[in-house]
Amino acid sequence: MNRITRTAVLLGVSIVSIVSITACGSDEESSGSTATSTASSAASSTASSDTASSSTGDTGDTGDTVDTSTTTATDLGPVDSSAAGVFSVETANGTVTLGARPVRIVSLSPTHTEMLFAIGAGDQVIAVDDQSNYPPEAAAVASELSGFTPNIEAIAGYEPDLVVIGDDRSGLGEQLAAVDIPVWSGLSAVSFDDVYQQLEQLGVLTGHVADAAAVVAGMETDIASILNELPETEVPMTYYHELDPTYFSVTSDTFVGQIYSLAGLQNIADRANATSSYPQLSSELIVSADPELIFLADTKCCGESAETVAARDGWAGIAAVVNGNVISMDDDLASRWGPRVVDYLRAVVDAVIDASVVAPS
Amino acid sequence: MRGRSWWLPLSVVVLLGAIVLAAFIGPAGTISSANWKLIWELRMPRIVLAALVGAMLSVAGASYQGAFGNPLADPYLLGVAAGSGLGATIVFVTGRSNTVGWLIDPLPLASFAGGLLAVLVTYMIGAAFGPQRSSLTLVLAGVAVTSLVTAIQTFVLYRNSDVIREVYSWILGRLSTATWRDVRLVFPYIAVSCIVLLLHRRQLDVMRVGDDEASSLGMQVSRVRLIVVVAATLGTAAAVSVSGLIGFVGIVVPHAVRMLAGSSYRRLLPLSIVLGATFLVLTDIPGRVLSTGSETPIGVVTAFFGAPFFIVVLMRRRLAR
Amino acid sequence: MSSLSLDHVSVHYGKRTVVHDFSDTVKPGDWLCLIGPNGAGKSSILRAVTGLASHTGSIAVDGSPLALRSPRRRAELVAYVPQSPLLPAEMTAFEYVLLGRNPYISYFGSDTAQDRAMVMNVLERLDMASFADRSLGALSGGEQQRLVIARALAQEAPILLLDEPTSALDIGHQQQALELVDRLRHEHGLTVISAMHDLTLAGLYADRLALFHEGHLVVSGTASHVLRAETLAEFYGVSVTVHHEPDGTVVVVPRRTSA
Repeated sequence: MNRITRTAVLLGVSIVSIVSITACGSDEESSGSTATSTASSAASSTASSDTASSSTGDTGDTGDTVDTSTTTATDLGPVDSSAAGVFSVETANGTVTLGARPVRIVSLSPTHTEMLFAIGAGDQVIAVDDQSNYPPEAAAVASELSGFTPNIEAIAGYEPDLVVIGDDRSGLGEQLAAVDIPVWSGLSAVSFDDVYQQLEQLGVLTGHVADAAAVVAGMETDIASILNELPETEVPMTYYHELDPTYFSVTSDTFVGQIYSLAGLQNIADRANATSSYPQLSSELIVSADPELIFLADTKCCGESAETVAARDGWAGIAAVVNGNVISMDDDLASRWGPRVVDYLRAVVDAVIDASVVAPS
Repeated sequence: MRGRSWWLPLSVVVLLGAIVLAAFIGPAGTISSANWKLIWELRMPRIVLAALVGAMLSVAGASYQGAFGNPLADPYLLGVAAGSGLGATIVFVTGRSNTVGWLIDPLPLASFAGGLLAVLVTYMIGAAFGPQRSSLTLVLAGVAVTSLVTAIQTFVLYRNSDVIREVYSWILGRLSTATWRDVRLVFPYIAVSCIVLLLHRRQLDVMRVGDDEASSLGMQVSRVRLIVVVAATLGTAAAVSVSGLIGFVGIVVPHAVRMLAGSSYRRLLPLSIVLGATFLVLTDIPGRVLSTGSETPIGVVTAFFGAPFFIVVLMRRRLAR
Repeated sequence: MSSLSLDHVSVHYGKRTVVHDFSDTVKPGDWLCLIGPNGAGKSSILRAVTGLASHTGSIAVDGSPLALRSPRRRAELVAYVPQSPLLPAEMTAFEYVLLGRNPYISYFGSDTAQDRAMVMNVLERLDMASFADRSLGALSGGEQQRLVIARALAQEAPILLLDEPTSALDIGHQQQALELVDRLRHEHGLTVISAMHDLTLAGLYADRLALFHEGHLVVSGTASHVLRAETLAEFYGVSVTVHHEPDGTVVVVPRRTSA
């Protein structure tokens, strides 16, 4: 058969196959974690907990500006301990509804482990993944479960009535839905509002609505007061946030980048014209940008510190190095978006204050 | 003719035994009335998918070895692996987790399309520059396309390094996320592909004497090769789209079958199907029990357990000579 | 018995023409042997008849052009024994000869009892019935050569093409193979075209010879007509003496050129 015929045959077969696999791939039941099934393991439905709320936690829209004043339109009803709570939230992945207050929560996301414990749901958590190392109480329920390469049977073996995960990139929600285990997935936050919303949703799901609201309010207050301490500067200070020793950084549209923006700092990575939010910078770019602050998020993983940075070729002359403004951050803090973002902001603002004192203003 | 007709029934029995064995082993424990639903929803699809994928990769590898007269051929020879990988990478980069609620899961679709398109490009290049449309030209075109597509994928990943972990885990191959939906998705492709390949067993035997002689014996070599490639690629692309790139199976199982039952494709293809299924069902077991909380990627297990087995068969054959 | 006619056939590989305008008719049952130095085009002609090389001009069997026929039908008419056949070491002799039945087995079908009986028959006639289950890798060169001929016979084609059938064999096996072909030729009414290097053997067995040089036919005819010292000197560059035996055999004997 000649070349044209053969090419036509191949192309035709390819198109037909792709079309049919598309058709087969979309079935009547939609895929994804529409876990509308109710948890069956919790026998008693009398929500005798202290924070049963009758209102559905209606989560407001996510503001795209980094506005720390609350924009969520949550109307929390009064604490009503006698009514059976409705444990249902709307997420981007669908509705998650529980039949009763969950008491066998498995968390596969370190960030959300922190959130759960912060809102007082810690005693409802029976297992956390191997990366959840904060708060110390979480260590008591640490397991070998992995959030990155989840072993579905192992998870199901805990007979959880709620599984909390971060990004669901491996179809975990769908698999657990098949065995009637509800899954709540909290995508990586891109703004503070996302953080608050996730806290509130977890509050509704665990029956800690008021606690969650308190945590959110506390965070907002703390953030406001921390920001009040910021010194006045005409020209924003520049900074470089280092993710790893090969100069991977973040742009200011990432969540951690927004924390820095809140603190009034300017990111040198924004000049890199990067296509992704996690660009790899070059030594040359960093040295020529001469940042006044350097934040190291690779201290735990890779042993970087102010000394190692100063020892790099050509870096000794960078303003941050010269003035001793190379700050080691906690790798975990930098990659999570739980309640401890306040601590992260605290550290950043402290660094700014230190740097302002030294620098002539 | 060598009287080895008992090989096929014996292997089918072994396969069924492996499936039963696998059904009983897993972190959730053995089968009981209490966890039957869990086993059915979470473990059984995985076992069935392992059987389907193992069968497909093995028969595709054997068919490619016959169609190209190359004992080192594996099902990814013409670029299916690279194309599927690129398709998957693109989906991950554009944010797959945001599409979990969609009606169509784009990941298997993109990797399937990528695999097919890569092979299409390989064929077009091979036909354009090979005046005799020889198998060697196609293989070389496959090498070129694989390299190019892999380079593109690496570049895309480099610019989007936050998804490297997901892509790498996809590439390593996993059956742990199998659902019945995945099984339904790929079953038609794998079934059709296997049937077409089995129908061409005799043609592959004729091709063992090389293109020229097969032609002189009345066979239209390039047409048969095209059909075999299309069938094997369709099935392989479907398998890869749900299970990632599981290596080793497609090249080793056919050779093991040859050593045990001879080189005739009439026996090789059906035996590869059954023994390939058995192999993957068995090697999927350690993945879920080696570590109590996480999954060990199946690509690691197949090589780790398959290579020593293969060495043993190799040595036994040398001694037997 | 069938005739093979080549009408103004030129064979080319890509842009290169390796045989120029060759015309000949091989009568039914005849044996034509192509001779000539390396690269003269002998193998190319055989490949063109088999359908493995592109050519202009017409090649016809019993008057009907081969080009119009499907590969399967062509294989029913022309059987090709290549110079270096590929013999998969693990194939049995029976399976190998069975390949010759390919033109008669339907695309998705498999061999019938008749096919298998026919293969055994061929093996018996070539005194190889006991080899049926042995692997090709375990056979000697002479036995392998006989098997390839057996495979060609299984094709039941009236035209048999042999490309250098004796080059890899010792003198004993050379004679065996050629005697075999000659016997089969008469038994089955085959028309044979071969390409050979050994001039004496070529003259001994073939009815007619055709001498080629650089793709052109130089002379064709009987052995005594073609095998002349001055002809061979001109086109082979060799120095020979040609003897004529009383029974008509033409013997070509190389002469030493140095003292």
